[in-house]
This record gives sequence, C-alpha cells and structure tokens, in this order.
Amino acid sequence: MKEGKSAKLNGIQQHQNGHLSPFKFAKLLDPEASWDKDQLGDVLHWIRQAMALVCGLLWGAIPLVGGIWFFIFLVISSGVIYGYYAMILKVDEEEFGGHGALLQEGLFASITLFLLSVCGK
Amino acid sequence: MVSMAMPPMFAAFKYSDSLRVVGISICTAIVCEAISWVLIYRTNSYKSLRSSIDKAAKKLETMKTDTAKITKKSKTKKIDRVETSLKESSRDLSLFKFKSGAVVALVLFVVFGLLNSLFEGKAVAKLPFKPFGLLVKMSHRGLQGDDSTDCSMAFLYFLCSISIRTNLQKFLGFSPPRGASAGLFPMPDPKTN
Repeated sequence: MKEGKSAKLNGIQQHQNGHLSPFKFAKLLDPEASWDKDQLGDVLHWIRQAMALVCGLLWGAIPLVGGIWFFIFLVISSGVIYGYYAMILKVDEEEFGGHGALLQEGLFASITLFLLSVCGK
Repeated sequence: MVSMAMPPMFAAFKYSDSLRVVGISICTAIVCEAISWVLIYRTNSYKSLRSSIDKAAKKLETMKTDTAKITKKSKTKKIDRVETSLKESSRDLSLFKFKSGAVVALVLFVVFGLLNSLFEGKAVAKLPFKPFGLLVKMSHRGLQGDDSTDCSMAFLYFLCSISIRTNLQKFLGFSPPRGASAGLFPMPDPKTN
C-alpha cells in the first residue's frame, strides 16, 4: 500500500495520557513528513496569528489607512497559508477536509488579532 | 536630550487607554481559563467526552475514506451510527460546558461593567479605516462626535476577547475538539426523515 502524505489515522502518533508525541520543528519544512489533521490545523492557525500580529503592528506603525489594507492582509495571509501547505508541505488537501477547511484554520482569530494590532490612537 | 526622551513617553501615554484595555483583557482571559479548568477541563466527564469525540471523529474519517472506494449498505449504516454517536457526544459536551460556563460569563460581565465605568464615552483607539453598517454601531458605541474611526472600549474589548481567549485556549490545549460540530442544537439528520 502506498503511503502518501495523508493523515495517518492508524496510530503512528503515540498518544500517552491524551498528549501527542513531541513536535519536531524540522517537520515544518519537510514535504516528506506525514501530518495529523490536528497538528497541521494547529500549525496553520499559529502561522495566521503570527502574520496577523506582524502585519497589524507594521501597518499600524506606518500607518496604512483605508479598508483596502484589511482585504490586502486577508489575501496575503491566505496566500501564504495556501503556499505553505500546497507548495512547501505538498499535502493532499482532500485528506484534511479540502482547501476551505485548511484556509479557515484560525481565520477569525487572526482577523480580530490583526484589527487589535493595527488600531492606533 | 530632554526633548528626545519626551516622544517615547508621549507615545506610551497615547496608547495607555488601549494598553489598559488589552492588559485587563489578558488578565480576564487567564482568570476565565483558570475557572474553566477548575469547573470543566479537569473533570472526568469532560475528559471522557473529549476522548470519545476524538475517537469517533477519527473512526468516521477512516470509514468515509474506505467507503469512497467500496460502497456497501452495511458500511453506510455503520457510518450513520458513528455520526449519531458523535453528534450525541458533541451535544453532551456543549451542555456540560454551558452549565459551567455561566460562572465565566458572570466574570466577563463584571469586567465589562468595570471597563465601561472606566472608559465610558471615551475613544480608546483609532481604527485605520471607516467602518460601516453594524460594525460602526459597535465600534462607535457610546462615543460623541461624527468621527467613525474612533474606537470605543466595547469594540476593543470584543477584539481582545476573541483573539486573546481563542489563542490562549489553543496554547493551553483547551480549544474545542475539531470533531465536535453539533453544539446544543444539532441540525436534524436528513437521512432519518
């Protein structure tokens, strides 16, 4: 049976007392790594939050005024997320619920974090 | 030399209101998660419900992946059974969290009242764009003047609550399981009608 980069549901991840096995950061850039649905979702979530914080602080500091910059942030952050899982990790999005499921990981929290970071006085 | 030191001080003063709101929100989020941990997350009921939801979700995913290749009536029935079990567990989890969540809601209500009394009628931040529709009603709540870019405490607190609490829950591992989608009021299964 061919083992792809699909979510391995048959227990490669060791669950001990409800905790996942230690996460290795080398896995973040490894296209050959196998991903659990929860782990990939968490990574995408934190990437979005980091982008929201950086973009919000940067654009608030310049400052970039106008609603268009909010949409530009959405496009950039979604583009980075898509590029990461499709081109760097090369995961099969069907195994993780499709593009929608992956792109919406952490989306609402990142929007609020972006607005919080970009607010000035 | 004195004039060079002044701008950073003015900057801190300029952001002091919004930083106070953010600081209070962070403390509130930590207190709420501590209360939730005491009342919800450390209980055996929560752990067993969470575990059963995770197992059912994984089992459902495996069965759906296998069924894509081979269609059998018995497999479909098994999938329905697992889905029903998942929905019931999700509903039980929501109900369990709802009962204990009343205490957290009370804390949030008290903190909101406190912040309201501190910042009533005061713009605590500036939005970088002009909001519209329902958003302006929320962001400009209780403020005087026509400048719709003025941000009220209520809106800033809302942004803080969502972003800080969501990320804190995620960081601590308390975020809701991905398989739990039913909630308190699950939609009726069209297959059973």
